[in-house]
Amino acid sequence: MTDLAQSLIDALALGGLYALIAIGVALIYTVMGMMNFAQGEFIMLPAYALYVLAGLPFAVAVCAALATGIAIAVLAERVAFRPVRNADLAAQLVTSLAVATILQSVVSAAVDARAQSVAAPELLSESSQIGALSIPNLEILTLALTVIVLGGLGWLLYRTRIGLEMRAAAENFEMARLLGVRANRVIAIAFAISGALAAMVGVLIVMQTGQVSPTMGLTPVLVGFIAVVIGGFGRIFGAVVGGLVLGVFSSLLGTYLPDGLVPFRDAIVFSLPVAILVVRPQGLLGAATGQARV
Amino acid sequence: MNGWGLRSPASAATSLVVPLVLVVLTAAVGASGTPSFEGTVTLILCNLIIVLGLQVFIGNSGVYSFGQLGFAASGAYAAALLTLPAAFTALQTPELPKLIADAQLGPLLSTLLAAVASGLLAGVVGWPLMKTSTLAIPISTFAFLIVAYNVLANWDPVTGGSSGLVSIPRTTDVESAGLWAGVAVVVALAYKWSASGYRLQATREDEVAARSIGIGLMRERLIAFTISGMLCGIGGALAVHQSGTLSPDTFYFAASVTTITMLVVGGARSVLGAVVGTLAVATVNELLRNFEEGASMFGLISIGATPGLAAIGLGLILLLAMIALPEGLSRGREAGEIEPIRRRLRSRVPSTPPAVAAMDQARPRSVRGSAGSLRAEGVSLAFSGLHVLRGVELELPPGEALGLIGPNGAGKTTLVNVLSGFQAPDSGSVLLDGVDVTSWSPARLARAGLGRTFQAALPFAGLTVVESVAVGAMGVGVSRRRAVDIAADVLERLGLGEQAQRPAGLQPPGNQRLLGIARALGTGPRYLLLDEPAAGLNDEERRELVAILREVIQDFGCAILLIEHDMNVVMDLCPQVQVLDDGETVVVGSPEEVQAHPAVVEAYLGTSYVAGAHA
Repeated sequence: MTDLAQSLIDALALGGLYALIAIGVALIYTVMGMMNFAQGEFIMLPAYALYVLAGLPFAVAVCAALATGIAIAVLAERVAFRPVRNADLAAQLVTSLAVATILQSVVSAAVDARAQSVAAPELLSESSQIGALSIPNLEILTLALTVIVLGGLGWLLYRTRIGLEMRAAAENFEMARLLGVRANRVIAIAFAISGALAAMVGVLIVMQTGQVSPTMGLTPVLVGFIAVVIGGFGRIFGAVVGGLVLGVFSSLLGTYLPDGLVPFRDAIVFSLPVAILVVRPQGLLGAATGQARV
Repeated sequence: MNGWGLRSPASAATSLVVPLVLVVLTAAVGASGTPSFEGTVTLILCNLIIVLGLQVFIGNSGVYSFGQLGFAASGAYAAALLTLPAAFTALQTPELPKLIADAQLGPLLSTLLAAVASGLLAGVVGWPLMKTSTLAIPISTFAFLIVAYNVLANWDPVTGGSSGLVSIPRTTDVESAGLWAGVAVVVALAYKWSASGYRLQATREDEVAARSIGIGLMRERLIAFTISGMLCGIGGALAVHQSGTLSPDTFYFAASVTTITMLVVGGARSVLGAVVGTLAVATVNELLRNFEEGASMFGLISIGATPGLAAIGLGLILLLAMIALPEGLSRGREAGEIEPIRRRLRSRVPSTPPAVAAMDQARPRSVRGSAGSLRAEGVSLAFSGLHVLRGVELELPPGEALGLIGPNGAGKTTLVNVLSGFQAPDSGSVLLDGVDVTSWSPARLARAGLGRTFQAALPFAGLTVVESVAVGAMGVGVSRRRAVDIAADVLERLGLGEQAQRPAGLQPPGNQRLLGIARALGTGPRYLLLDEPAAGLNDEERRELVAILREVIQDFGCAILLIEHDMNVVMDLCPQVQVLDDGETVVVGSPEEVQAHPAVVEAYLGTSYVAGAHA
């Protein structure tokens, strides 16, 4: 019983992390209709900020990481994504792939192509005893952040003017512009929030794995993409569900998979979404698509 | 043949020759160079084959796949394991099936088997992948790449695990790579210009319109995906026999980015683009790599060793290409389609005036005298509580014209969507010649003889006019050659013959409307549903349209359901008119009866008018 509860909490924590990744991807997709490959690098660069500032107090390093995430996201939007804003989805995707490649190789050239280790503060490597369960503090932090971010995002989207503008832009970008929504501002803010979320994820991943590498964003960005797709395109809270499903599934597989198959966990985890999409092309929460164009 | 073609033979030959010359040229350059230069050229040629593989799928479907390098990997592993001597496989891959472990094939046979293996894998993996939506394919193929990597890196006893394989026979030389690259160019062009290739290109230009002319989206994508996997497998197999080593990283994310960059820089839509892009990006890449090791330019500027410079350069090239050159260096044209070359070719080849083929010959099916009709029975449909159709009955007998009129929002277009399979009704059924076709897909209905147009023209902008119409015939399974005859005939009748070789996307709006009708006629429909064909046309064009439609009914024996707001067009053409209002049939009758019907007057002109008229 304790074992089950323990692995459920592990699973939820991973699901929470994946949900945070997915929200970052979904936010940009909803507002601008772009699947952003570089989201993985928005995760990777703040993680390197922790590595570079390892000597400073942890709180300062985390703030620097957040600032890095926001700055790189806003910068990438201004320099690379704005010029292709009206291009089709495929072109935007490839553009973001270019940005991802550039950021990755710059870090490889500037630091090292190999992984570097980063020490986590003691508090985050310890566990707390709750009843019979021993829960790693990092998992508690992840779960708490997920809840706070979800609440905050709900408030932002449904209780503020900028949230209303974002939702309007998501529904019909051109119409929203005609009605006075300042597109550049709305998109820049979406990127800033997405960058901040990515930075949080980056910090959490570094605390968990204890290392940074230029390609560390690759798997998370795929996780985010898949969560968005299985959650139903263009639905932020669908992406949350997608992230949770993927994380819980992956974590439980890690616990209950027979030993011989454990190395193939990623293969199984990433085959799941394709299976879901074959059965439900519109995703778990997506409505059956109407024929809007005809 | 009647002198018409999808392209002139000279243009096709030129398109074929130019990439081939480039391939032969690189092979010649390689042959006269130093061994290390030769090795570089060989690897570039292997890359070219993979990029051509990408072009077959990405270029023709317009959908990005990030998983094709997984097939290059499968081809490379297959070729490596089939050629490694048994003593080596015993060490590196102890649990490999004995048959493969003991095999020690020559380069040709191992490459061919690698192609077959990768093609099979692509077909099997592609089946679920192609079932996912257009938006999801880039992501699900990316997931496949990671799955393939994960398996290759962790299945140690069979693949050698993450450390990979060594001592693979180095049998690929620059000449054989050049030859295979030539073969790949021909395969890519042959696919692009096949009926299947045209059908896939039509889905790239407009998915909805493509379905309306009978094209099965998933099937066409799967065919291209499989051919693409095969070419990628060949490229991978040749590359591994050049380098002699292989690891799961060889064909992973970095290689995906490199090959996609090559394709995008050259222009994904053309085979020429794949060739030019590969050569351009590879050249820049080699230059940057020299700088990486530290080099000086003209003895003036000296640059220290900068590892990673090539990768950064690659990313920047890709970014600049996307922003400044979205159509790539080739602008999506094959060599024979580049304007100055085209003009020279045209001046040499005397243009043959098109002979109009007899329609009975060209039409795919005998259409006259078939019994039955197109019927809607009690069709109801609601969108989130809003009742758009309420038990609508409709009958379109063969060879007749039925006008469907009614105010905006009456449900006319929705009814056409239900009839043509684009929208499933909540209740009621659609019968085609007595067969219940309610659950059929639009593509299947088109193949059964039901054509339609849309309120928007939805042109296949990237195809020429004649291609757009011919692809309609190819969509319902007509052979490529007959499809051209049909297109020629239809275009002549609609007065678009002059425009045949021009891009469909650059036609004026009036022509684009006609082209939509021509495209539907290309499928040889027995029932044709036209959604406001006269919208946006001027008076003269309207009169021409009426004449054309009358001819369509007479000569093609095709029944027409005409949604139209212009009452003159409806009155001219339709002996029967059905009036729809608020999702219900108000009246069916002759134009005079309908015009006199009080409910129609009310629906069109308002109650006060009726009241006033009676006062």
